[in-house]
Amino acid sequence: MTARRLFAIAALGLLLATSFGAGLLPKFSYSAQHREFTDAAPSLRFPLGTDELGRDRMARLLSATRVSLVFAAAASLGALILAALIGGVAGYCGGWCDRALVHGIDLMLSLPWLFLLLAVRALLPLNAAPLTSLLATYALLALLGWASPARVVRAGVRSLRDSEFVLQARAEGVTELRILLRHVLPNLRPILLAQFWTSIPLFILTEANLGFLGLSAGEPFPTWGSLLRELQDPLLVRPEAFAPVAAIALSVVCFKLLSPRGGYQV
Amino acid sequence: MRPLLSAFVSVDYPGRPGVLQGVDLEIAPGEILGLVGESGSGKSTLALALLRLLPFRGGTTRGELRLRERDLLALSERQMRAVRGREIGLVLQSPISALNPAMRIGRQIVESWQAHRDHSPDLPGTLEMVSLPTEPSFLDRYPSQLSVGQAQRVLIAMAILHRPALLIADEPTSALDAVTQAEILKLFARLNRQLGMAVLYISHDLLSVASLCHRIAILQQGQIVETNTSEEIFQRPQHAYTQALLRAIPRVPEFLPV
Amino acid sequence: MTRRFLPVLVVAFTSTALAQIGGDLRFCLRADPKTFDPLLVEDDNSEAVRYLTGGVLLRVNRVSQQFTPELAASWKVDEQGRRITFHLRHGVAFSDGTPFSADDVTYTMNRLMDPQLHSATADPFRSSSIPPRITQLSADTVSVTFGAPVSGLERLFDQVAILSAHSPRKLAAVLGPFQVAEYKPGIEVRLSRNPNYWKTDAGGRRLPYADQIHLQIQQNRDLELVRFRRGEIDLINSVDPEVFERLAHDAPSSVTDAGVSLESEMMWFNQAPSAPLPSYKKAWFASQAFRRAVSEGINRADLARIVFKGHAQPAAGPISPANRFWFNTTLRPHPFDVPSALRRLQEEGFQMRNGQLYDGGGHAVEFSILTNAGNRSRERMATMIQQDLTALGMRVNVVTLDFPSLLERMTQTFQYEACLLGLTNLDLDPGAQMNVWLSSAANHQWNPNQKSAATPWEAEIDRLMRRQASELRPEARKRLFDRVQQIVWEQEPFLYLVNKDSLMALSPQLQNTAPAAVAPQAYWNIEVLRKSSQLAGNR
Repeated sequence: MTARRLFAIAALGLLLATSFGAGLLPKFSYSAQHREFTDAAPSLRFPLGTDELGRDRMARLLSATRVSLVFAAAASLGALILAALIGGVAGYCGGWCDRALVHGIDLMLSLPWLFLLLAVRALLPLNAAPLTSLLATYALLALLGWASPARVVRAGVRSLRDSEFVLQARAEGVTELRILLRHVLPNLRPILLAQFWTSIPLFILTEANLGFLGLSAGEPFPTWGSLLRELQDPLLVRPEAFAPVAAIALSVVCFKLLSPRGGYQV
Repeated sequence: MRPLLSAFVSVDYPGRPGVLQGVDLEIAPGEILGLVGESGSGKSTLALALLRLLPFRGGTTRGELRLRERDLLALSERQMRAVRGREIGLVLQSPISALNPAMRIGRQIVESWQAHRDHSPDLPGTLEMVSLPTEPSFLDRYPSQLSVGQAQRVLIAMAILHRPALLIADEPTSALDAVTQAEILKLFARLNRQLGMAVLYISHDLLSVASLCHRIAILQQGQIVETNTSEEIFQRPQHAYTQALLRAIPRVPEFLPV
Repeated sequence: MTRRFLPVLVVAFTSTALAQIGGDLRFCLRADPKTFDPLLVEDDNSEAVRYLTGGVLLRVNRVSQQFTPELAASWKVDEQGRRITFHLRHGVAFSDGTPFSADDVTYTMNRLMDPQLHSATADPFRSSSIPPRITQLSADTVSVTFGAPVSGLERLFDQVAILSAHSPRKLAAVLGPFQVAEYKPGIEVRLSRNPNYWKTDAGGRRLPYADQIHLQIQQNRDLELVRFRRGEIDLINSVDPEVFERLAHDAPSSVTDAGVSLESEMMWFNQAPSAPLPSYKKAWFASQAFRRAVSEGINRADLARIVFKGHAQPAAGPISPANRFWFNTTLRPHPFDVPSALRRLQEEGFQMRNGQLYDGGGHAVEFSILTNAGNRSRERMATMIQQDLTALGMRVNVVTLDFPSLLERMTQTFQYEACLLGLTNLDLDPGAQMNVWLSSAANHQWNPNQKSAATPWEAEIDRLMRRQASELRPEARKRLFDRVQQIVWEQEPFLYLVNKDSLMALSPQLQNTAPAAVAPQAYWNIEVLRKSSQLAGNR
């Protein structure tokens, strides 16, 4: 465990602990509009001031942190499972199956993501509660985000499949299933882990993009992305409104530090 | 005496036909046959072809392949799997990459036993036979924590676990230093003697097989050009290629007692 | 350009500014004009060029909202509103010197009505199946006769820039205060003073004052703002409340709130019978009590104060108070009154349990408000309404969609529950709103294209609108349209939220400004705008 990994774990832990801790306090409501205190400067009552509708920025930031971190991790896991299945099948089976799946992966990667997200979002039922729309957003991210890790998984599986030790295992008469479970999968773990850690910041940033465009969770539910919308105002002068940027940057850096560098060579 | 294994095979790869052209090979029970040829002559391909492992590398095998009169090319993949490791063992060229880096070696040995489960394993005996320590602290190591020589012995231990009638060794010493090389060669000689195991010993180095093998086959560009006893090969080489190989050896070999 | 050269440039600029009286005016267009043919204008940018260069027979004064004579010295409407006769001004010439005569009016009108031209400006002239007939009665008299009476027909001529029938320069010969001097696509349209413009100021000086207008093409509103703050442009015709406040904070003299504009923000419930909505929801939206309750549950004063920083006022009905003549002055905005709203809901059979409202059938009251993504004021209004309506136990979901998707739901699939959008009536006359109020109209947004009026009050609006269209006396029309506004206020098919102020940024160097609430707000009196010379070099 290196110093940078320790730092990353400590920082992320602190971020998660404060955001979850704050969720237990009834005083912190992310949606209450204090309409007599709109656009207020930081004070004891509102440590980060209030937004244009008089909502407590601190409460919104902590709530958004909770949501964005947990959901990005969940989406990353979802995308990874898809990537492992699709990339694994492509790499292991080879032949026409591999060619078809690789074309599929290339197609996914060449799609105009943002446009697709916009289009799919427009198809969602309107009466989705904010939480549902949030789930839908992240589910979409997972559904669209599997292609890039799938390509890495496929390459990994392929080189494992053709590796000497798998050949050796075959020469020993080991069954295909056992080769997959005992030889291929355990060696894939570092690849999957690396993809998991690198996908999380990617999803955090994509959600931030979507939220900035107003296409993440519905109001009044805060996510990091939706908090960034405040920054669209070219005349914004309040430094405390940049707190979500700091939170995003910190977590993205931490996840980058956590993702294994170089990793394991097959 | 009937041969243990008789083969007459041709191998093609997609886009590269005729890698092996009618390679005719017979191995008697308990015999050590050396297969010598320069790199690219098709030695490793032949090793895989004999185990019907070539489809995994994209190659196709034609011809005839018999193990104790059984037609191996006619077997189902499932039946063939029962032959691999149990009746024919294989030791690959580079010991480190032939071991799963994510698995402790003890576990790997057990894995290769569990592939057949035909008898209770004589694990300590086998380890002793290949001069490896038997204590758990050794078996708990990962391949990266072994020396190359130790790794090669682990591979050999796994290959002889089921006491196969034939052991195919594909250049098992090429990655080793001279001293370890000599030890491994002695080990093969001992295994052959103690277990009565036939060995197909593949090498590019005529000199190193000379002391070990009863007979030697010379492979050139996918064809066997000459097969004869070691003495005959060294003293009365028939084929021009064999003569060229012999000329390339710096000095006349001294035979080790076999 | 490096900073070092700046003093030199300033000196040069100051000296030319001192030498001339009006100087150059600069402001921005949002995009390239799509056409320079005044009869083919459909977009705002081409409209700006048309307004600045075109001469018209008569004009709606943007401040008094009265018709004022321009190229027509006088006019008369007769034959029960079917015919208008113009007596043209004498001694007027086009920018190239070609004299102006009735030939030009006839030529322009004939070209306008040519079906091959496909002019959008011609559409209002085609309200009856018989196209208008143009008759040249003398060298200075022209009449236009319509197939059927047209109420308020003068207003149609505000849009028709007169072309020259005889000038060799064709479209380049204009009668307005400026002419197009140069067009650099994507960069600017440069207008120069029309030396033959017919108007003079009180001192007999020929108008316009300004020598040139640089219409700079600038898509990005933020950059436009930066350029205004640097003094590189002289005005921004409409600014957001936030921008307004910010500019006001730095330089109070640079912004003007010209008072309430024609723009209103409103919300409505989907009452289309073909909408794919559960029947109990359709029943809520069809209920007047439900709509009135929602309306009373919305704190409009807070919307105006918070979302528009006070530059808006609670709206009462479809016509903004900015429309001086047609606004029904007896109407007041619906008050924010939660107890009254709850009473209405209770009488209608709704029940409140644990802070959640249920209808008579036990369905929890929940609906979504759709608005266009990217419009922050609307999103904020929707979020505030969401919060307001929790007091009535209603769960509201705010949904933002890109405009094309929203439009598809609004007009094709009817897959929405409530919608929050804005509306601008460019035309002051209610005759232009037939396509909204008639129950058979496509823009009858809450339930468009009805075969026969779905409700008695919609039937009454149909009758009133048809009567006002054939009525010629303005006072009588006003009484009819007041009643329409009254019905809309009572029934609330549209919940009018706020009327926005017309906010603009004007350089303090600009003189003779008279901001109007009606487009083109800041430069409607372009011919008398000038820059004070002594300040010209002072950045």
